[in-house]
Amino acid sequence: MTSLKIEQVSRIFPARKGSPPTRALEPIDLQVGNNDFVTILGPSGCGKSTLLRIIAGLDRPTSGRVLLDGNEVTGPGADRGMVFQSYTLFPWLTVRDNIAFGLRERGFSEAERGSVADRYIAQIGLTGFENHWPKQLSGGMQQRTAIARALANDPKILLLDEPFGALDNQTRVLMQEMLLGIWERDQKTVLFVTHDIEEAIFLGSRVLVMSARPGRIKADIKVELPHPRSYKIKTAPEFVQLKERLVEEIRSEALKVVAEA
Amino acid sequence: MRPLDPVSSTQRAAYGLAFFVLFVAVWALATFGGYVSKTFLANPLTMLREGWDLLTKYGFLFDIGMTIWRVLGGFVLAAIIAVPIGVVMGAYKPIEALLEPFVSFARYLPASAFIPLLILWAGIGELQKLLIIFIGSVFQIILMVTVSVGNTRRDLVEAAYTLGASDRGIIGRVLLPSSAPEIAEILRLVLGWAWTYVIVAELIGSSSGIGHMITDSQALLNTGQIIFGIIVIGLIGLVSDFLFKAFNGWLFPWRLA
Repeated sequence: MTSLKIEQVSRIFPARKGSPPTRALEPIDLQVGNNDFVTILGPSGCGKSTLLRIIAGLDRPTSGRVLLDGNEVTGPGADRGMVFQSYTLFPWLTVRDNIAFGLRERGFSEAERGSVADRYIAQIGLTGFENHWPKQLSGGMQQRTAIARALANDPKILLLDEPFGALDNQTRVLMQEMLLGIWERDQKTVLFVTHDIEEAIFLGSRVLVMSARPGRIKADIKVELPHPRSYKIKTAPEFVQLKERLVEEIRSEALKVVAEA
Repeated sequence: MRPLDPVSSTQRAAYGLAFFVLFVAVWALATFGGYVSKTFLANPLTMLREGWDLLTKYGFLFDIGMTIWRVLGGFVLAAIIAVPIGVVMGAYKPIEALLEPFVSFARYLPASAFIPLLILWAGIGELQKLLIIFIGSVFQIILMVTVSVGNTRRDLVEAAYTLGASDRGIIGRVLLPSSAPEIAEILRLVLGWAWTYVIVAELIGSSSGIGHMITDSQALLNTGQIIFGIIVIGLIGLVSDFLFKAFNGWLFPWRLA
């Protein structure tokens, strides 16, 4: 059982020369249950990535705290896997060694690392590419490997920060289906940050809408669409209805951002 | 010819060679044509004949060997000490803040100006020659390695932390491999500089080496021998550079992939 609790977490970036401090996150309370797939949706600059980085331990909250299974998060750790928007595979390691990196850091034997890596290579459909360098892979393949690398550690929670943001539309849809397939099969608590409304609904069992800066959670919407989901669900009436609602929510936030600028 | 248009590898080799040919041709024209006096510049054939004499009669191969050993000795010594210091400085900012200003200062101390002092301290033996190359190289390597390690992509470091890496893991398995190709390039560059220092070291207070031969030839006004010595240095530099490049390519296949 995994439970993630966020208590009054806020983040203020200190003032820099000539500019006042930036309030990136208003105090946020949030509870994520076991095996939830939560998507966090918001306009750019709303602090959704900041929230994810705080949960990962890569950034510190100005106030409040993050609890994972009752333990306060004080820094990054293997119990929270993260996938970044930028391509962060280690360029000097092959696909296989990239996937096994976390296990190696945690002192697993070579045999164990190999068997786990091979299982994930098959799962993400990269059989035959085990010994390729990241440079030789397409963007989609690199992100698939990055997801496998995070999952190979068997983290309690998987954090994804717009992982498909840099991919073309066709690839992105395939990646969404692959990720959802993994989640439906393996069950895992997932936090997924995106600014793509369709992506948020298609993947999520719960969509959190964040407001424009300073970020706070504006709406918390359950997605009742049945699993397993296929891409066809995107034309179902429930899906379209939900999408219309979210478009309105996001649009009003985006307008605020434009008005401010 | 268009900007940034690539050339084939055979073309590249042919062009590279062509310039050497042109260079020798201009030299031959200037000397054989009588435009430059023999006293100031020997012609290519005299140079070759003098060079042959040096190799066969005067044991020049021994001098070449001495020079190579001095360069490599001083350079390896500097690398062994400088690379770890540079890595630690790049990784830990307080240590960088402590040492960087001094190293930056020491980097500008001209190695050749230390020759009189070093002769006083270490005599005119091999140690003195090694120390000159060491002083000339060590601070440069430290500073460049520090910058290279400090420039490691932050997102790779963050990714490693979220995968459970410890601080030691970050240094050993992220910072080092990520900057290793650049460190190898830095060493290649500094080895080139080390060659300049060794000749300077051998010009003063030395009884062997390419630099020593050059000073001897100067006394005899034998420009053919001097030029032969300079060309030998150039050739050794060219070969070592090529070997270094090939070695780096073999060591870091992920860069070329």
